Amino acid sequence: MADVTYREALRLALDEELGRDRDVFLMGEEIGRFEGSYKVTAGLWQKYGATRVRETPISEEGFVGAGIGAAMMGLRPVIEIMTINFILVAMDQVINHAAKIRYMFGGKVGVPLVIRAPGGAGAQLTAQHSQSLEAWFAGCPGLKVVAPATPADAYGMLKTAIRDDDPVLFCENLVLYNLTGALPENGDGLVPLGRAAIAREGTDLTLVAHSYTVQRALRVADRLSQDGISVEVVDLRSLRPLDVDTVAESVRKTNRVLVAEEGWSTYGVGAELAARLQRVCFDDLDAPVERVGQAEVPMPYAKPLELAALPLESKIEAAARSLLAECGL
Amino acid sequence: MSEELTMPRLSDTMEQGTIGRWLKREGESFHEGDVIAEIETDKATMDFQAYEDGTMLRILVGDGESAALGAPIAIIGAEGEEVPADAPAAASANGDGRDNGAADPAPAAEPEAEAKQQAPVATATEEAPSDGGGLRASPIARRMADAGGLDLRTLAGKGTGPDGRIVKADVERALAGGVKPAPAARAAPQAAPPQPGEGDEVRELTPMLRAVARRMAESKATVPHFYVSSEIDMTRALELRAELNGALADSGEKVGVNDLIVRACAQALVQHPQAHRSYVDGHHVYHSHVHVGIAVALDDGLIVPVLRDAETKGVRQLAAETRDLVKRARDGKLRQSEIEGGTFTVSNMGMFDVAAFSAIINPPESTILAVSSTVERAVVRDGAVVPRKIMSVTLSCDHRACSGADGARLLQTVKRHLEAPTLLLA
Repeated sequence: MADVTYREALRLALDEELGRDRDVFLMGEEIGRFEGSYKVTAGLWQKYGATRVRETPISEEGFVGAGIGAAMMGLRPVIEIMTINFILVAMDQVINHAAKIRYMFGGKVGVPLVIRAPGGAGAQLTAQHSQSLEAWFAGCPGLKVVAPATPADAYGMLKTAIRDDDPVLFCENLVLYNLTGALPENGDGLVPLGRAAIAREGTDLTLVAHSYTVQRALRVADRLSQDGISVEVVDLRSLRPLDVDTVAESVRKTNRVLVAEEGWSTYGVGAELAARLQRVCFDDLDAPVERVGQAEVPMPYAKPLELAALPLESKIEAAARSLLAECGL
Repeated sequence: MSEELTMPRLSDTMEQGTIGRWLKREGESFHEGDVIAEIETDKATMDFQAYEDGTMLRILVGDGESAALGAPIAIIGAEGEEVPADAPAAASANGDGRDNGAADPAPAAEPEAEAKQQAPVATATEEAPSDGGGLRASPIARRMADAGGLDLRTLAGKGTGPDGRIVKADVERALAGGVKPAPAARAAPQAAPPQPGEGDEVRELTPMLRAVARRMAESKATVPHFYVSSEIDMTRALELRAELNGALADSGEKVGVNDLIVRACAQALVQHPQAHRSYVDGHHVYHSHVHVGIAVALDDGLIVPVLRDAETKGVRQLAAETRDLVKRARDGKLRQSEIEGGTFTVSNMGMFDVAAFSAIINPPESTILAVSSTVERAVVRDGAVVPRKIMSVTLSCDHRACSGADGARLLQTVKRHLEAPTLLLA
């Protein structure tokens, strides 16, 4: 199959799942006639009609709540939140209801709901529209949180998420939508949740990332390879459940680890991994676990300041080089 | 209660510092804000001020000696206070329980025994500790040493990690029989030094020379340089300078050729934004102000103080600020903020009777102008051979930031402004 964009991979997964299972339906703002703000639902309203591709008013709390209710009754709603920043008005529904219902109903009722939401920064959308909030949700038991970095994973993980019996927050990234890549030729292409992937093999340093930062990490690995430094890039793919085993296995090989993420470092994905790795890999480490994230500020509007705040390749590379320098490499 | 003073981070790129000199000797007291030492970083000599009132109890790193960032450099405390016996040992022995012994019900004999054990360590700072307990080694280094039957104490003081931490590479080398196994492809920072010839002297680089070596090597290796050269007729500019200096004779001010060049460059950079931008991480950063670095040669090395907002300043102000910066550069008195943030550099070797040279770009700047000597030459003007004062210049450009045409246009404007120097006043 020819390469497809990340956007098209998502569209294809939605299309196939809508076609496969009559319980699957979509809900969100302008996802029908307008085909979604980022065109992920292109053509689906025409194909499946307004009952299964439902347009909602601007009312995140309302339609996430409606999705939870539908899921409790056995449907499989896939909700698009235009950007992850807008999920904040629906926090009570996500954290207090979607994540808690299976527990509070004694396991008798689940919420097979998927919430898709793009995040990320870099387009001067400034403080309120440039956030990477996935780590907030990844800290909440009862939710699954995934953040694929390639078209194949976007396709395979969205399908798996839709078939999952628990609520899944499916984090996309605005910069990733136009990334192209191949989809698997054979099989159903399903990708399990909770499994990291080795995006590039290496021996000197483990560089862990998720979502768009994986692409940055791969470019950093390329640059460092020109200096003979071999970097292994681990794509987490899922943040909850977090596949510490795959990361640990890599760290046992490289003895050094740097975690990069687009969100703030404090209490972030790197913080969680550092805590887990210092225990499972204590005797394997040659240097303290290092992390790189967005500057601890609301994302500025001005381009030079935005660039200064972003965890760009230059920052990841500098952190990698400094960590390796500590180890005499 | 005594405490350790540690090597402070005085610049972003600083990895270690050298004590220029201590201004407070052992036993001397000081107040908050007093300068207690001068510390040389990779870029400048900086004053190290006391955070609070106190007395210098013990100096751990003497004048001219270096220490890594965060390493203890002195013990301070109250006047007349005894330095705890275990004070200068590594961070692991920081005297738990000794200072608040009165409140601590621990048996009195214990701290004494501890003090006896550690007393020799205090005097023999260079020797390996008698047991491995105080050794700093990364966990994987310990595990590999264990597995390989290597006594880590044999590597004490030879660790290449932060604060002398023994890291995996050190153990690998030791296990391989002391031979550095660095792969040929990798540019190891500690490549085997060339064997000095008989009578040769090997000297450590000063932090500043190390920074110059690192930055220049990095620039030449990673920035795609290209060069644009031109000859500028300085006859009229020199006349203008003579006239200006004549008029300023009473005030003691003096304008140099370099000030005129800086003025011309600042004007030209404003006119040519494509030659005044940096390539950073796949983006072009357009600079809104012209901050001109002036390369100043020192006895051994160089430093580049920065004239900020040069586009807003006339030649007199540029001259006055340059004079001040150059003097303080030679005295090692520049502040960190005065040697960073440049967007363009002028390197002027005119005083050395240089016919032509090209300079290495100072990243993230994308251009640097190399200025050679002005010499009187016979040139053809309107069909006649006339003597003119000619200065040759070479602009080095980062091809990721600007094209050949961008560089040429910038240089053309500089030339036009210097050859018709009334433009410098506009």
